[in-house]
Amino acid sequence: MPRFRNKKRVPFVKPVVKKQQQQNVDHITGDRIPRSFVFSRGKLPGSLKQLQADLRKLMLPYTALKLKEKKRNNLKDFLNVAGPMGVTHFLMLSKTATAPYLRVAKTPQGPTLTFKIHEYSLAIDVARSQLRPRCPKDLFANSPLIVLSGFGKEERHLSLITTVFQNIFPAIDINTVKLSSCQRIVLLNYNKDTKLIDFRHFSIRLQPVGVSRRIRKFVQNHQVPDLRDLQDVSDFVTKAGYGSESEADDEAAHVSLPSDLGRVNRSTNKSAVKLQELGPRMSLQLIKIEEGLCSGGVMFSEYENSKGSKTQDTEEEHIGSDEDMEEEHSESEEDEENLNN
Amino acid sequence: MAEETQIQESGNVPMKRRLGQKKGGKGKKKMKVYKGSGEKVKVNKKMQKIFRKRARDYNSDDDEEGEDDDDEGDELVPVIRNKKNQRRESEEVDDEKSSDDDDGEDREDKGEEFEVSEDEDGEIQPGITKFTKGSSAFRKAFMKITKKKVADSVLGPVLSAHKKLIAEKLAEEEVERKVKGEVKKEKHIVGEKGHVQLPANFLDTHEKFLIGIATKGVVKLFNAVNKAQSAKKGLNPERAKDAKVIKQKKRAAFFSELGKKPYKSEASSKAEGEGPSWAPLRDNFMLTNSKLKDWDKMHDTTGPEDSGMPTYSSSDDED
Repeated sequence: MPRFRNKKRVPFVKPVVKKQQQQNVDHITGDRIPRSFVFSRGKLPGSLKQLQADLRKLMLPYTALKLKEKKRNNLKDFLNVAGPMGVTHFLMLSKTATAPYLRVAKTPQGPTLTFKIHEYSLAIDVARSQLRPRCPKDLFANSPLIVLSGFGKEERHLSLITTVFQNIFPAIDINTVKLSSCQRIVLLNYNKDTKLIDFRHFSIRLQPVGVSRRIRKFVQNHQVPDLRDLQDVSDFVTKAGYGSESEADDEAAHVSLPSDLGRVNRSTNKSAVKLQELGPRMSLQLIKIEEGLCSGGVMFSEYENSKGSKTQDTEEEHIGSDEDMEEEHSESEEDEENLNN
Repeated sequence: MAEETQIQESGNVPMKRRLGQKKGGKGKKKMKVYKGSGEKVKVNKKMQKIFRKRARDYNSDDDEEGEDDDDEGDELVPVIRNKKNQRRESEEVDDEKSSDDDDGEDREDKGEEFEVSEDEDGEIQPGITKFTKGSSAFRKAFMKITKKKVADSVLGPVLSAHKKLIAEKLAEEEVERKVKGEVKKEKHIVGEKGHVQLPANFLDTHEKFLIGIATKGVVKLFNAVNKAQSAKKGLNPERAKDAKVIKQKKRAAFFSELGKKPYKSEASSKAEGEGPSWAPLRDNFMLTNSKLKDWDKMHDTTGPEDSGMPTYSSSDDED
């Protein structure tokens, strides 16, 4: 009997943990892949929680879609996780009595951009307003393109916004990119008059030019078409489909592809770019820019110039009170890092 | 309550026993005794409807009426009629019918009720003789209550003496509920601040303008990709001739990169010499991303070749 026991007794060997190399680097271009966390500071009402979920979906695939937060999680916790996970950006949603706020921060050292969300619509609101909401299954498999317009180069805070948002998604290498992976686009449009940034999210669809809707659908779906109300088979080809012709086809949206894309889009033909909104949509106003991660010197403040007026001051205080708590954490964090360096 | 439950039981008893009969021979004797019960069940079907209706708006008085009818049916009729009318009003079934019709119907119903209750009593009596004897005092008490005139109040017939208290309580509850609802509503409104439920201005001019901008960006990228990739397309790297061409192109690209480099470094050194007043210009600012280092110089120095997306977006700025 003791023999059996001896067999069981295996000396404890510390398992050799192979450190799995995080794929922080794109294997084709060699660029660093930015990753992001989207989370909330403080308790959010239901619609804002939904907005958070939508933002996470928008940031796919390099984001934590199912990031679980607890009430007691502070910024330091996220920061500690962010290092080993290779997370480079934080998107933080918070809410005060006046309005919801979105903060976009680069980890671990900042800067932090604070936006006030003037208006927002969820993805589901957008989908509801559409006749045929579109969601192919590989829509969120690749990260979106980003288009920034109207920011200009003169004002430094605006160009800082552009750099931050350009680097929030992986850069695209023209020589190697596959156009089939370009499925979505995020648009940020700065309106100089209102100082609001329109945030939109579209899906990109390519359609062959000059092919009627019926033929296109027939080629795409491989389904037997409904010929009941037609006199002859030729009618199916000659009769123009309705939908696509009514839409104004402008030449500006036509592109020629380097290679075939799917069944219908041939490299020999021209294709039209069609965008359909996915949501969420937001109209943002830049409130302030901080040097550190939710801390440090204020590089830009919307209310800097008009400190005399009380209403705006109080509004800023609201945000300030929200961040004061976090400042403590991140300050201590910074100290630690300084020691390490 | 005690009476009521008793009645229900008594109603059930014959059914149970009949079930038992099928099993054993003993039941045959009893079957004779309860032969009438089968017919009674048929009558009960009608009654069941009425009882069910009553159960919906349950009143503890309902069943006692049936019991008491034997003795003083004449007196009770008006009372019952009142209640019936009240029920009608609450259910709003026969609002359009005239009051005369209602009365007529009520009487018919009453007649049926009496018959049935008599039948029930007649049949059941062997089962509950003990109870009826003992409950004479109880019955008297109920008689007293039922004889009482019921005040036509909003609350309906309330036996309790503290009618005012109940009214107050109900009013309080109502107020509380209202306050709670308002608080909830306010909270919801605060939470929904800024949320535009359905974009009413969907695809208006502004949205179309935005879509146009985005489309322009996509077209630019696709065209550039097309330009870059279609040049390579016809060439097969395994064939020596094509390989040469590819090599040449790569070389050209490399040298063009090299040609830019000194200029770029100059620019960055300039920035260092100036001394950073603006934090992002400092050396150690955002060291993790080399691209961010010269974020404000990038537009001037870099061509469209070396970085994909950023340049596209910046080129959109010019438009």
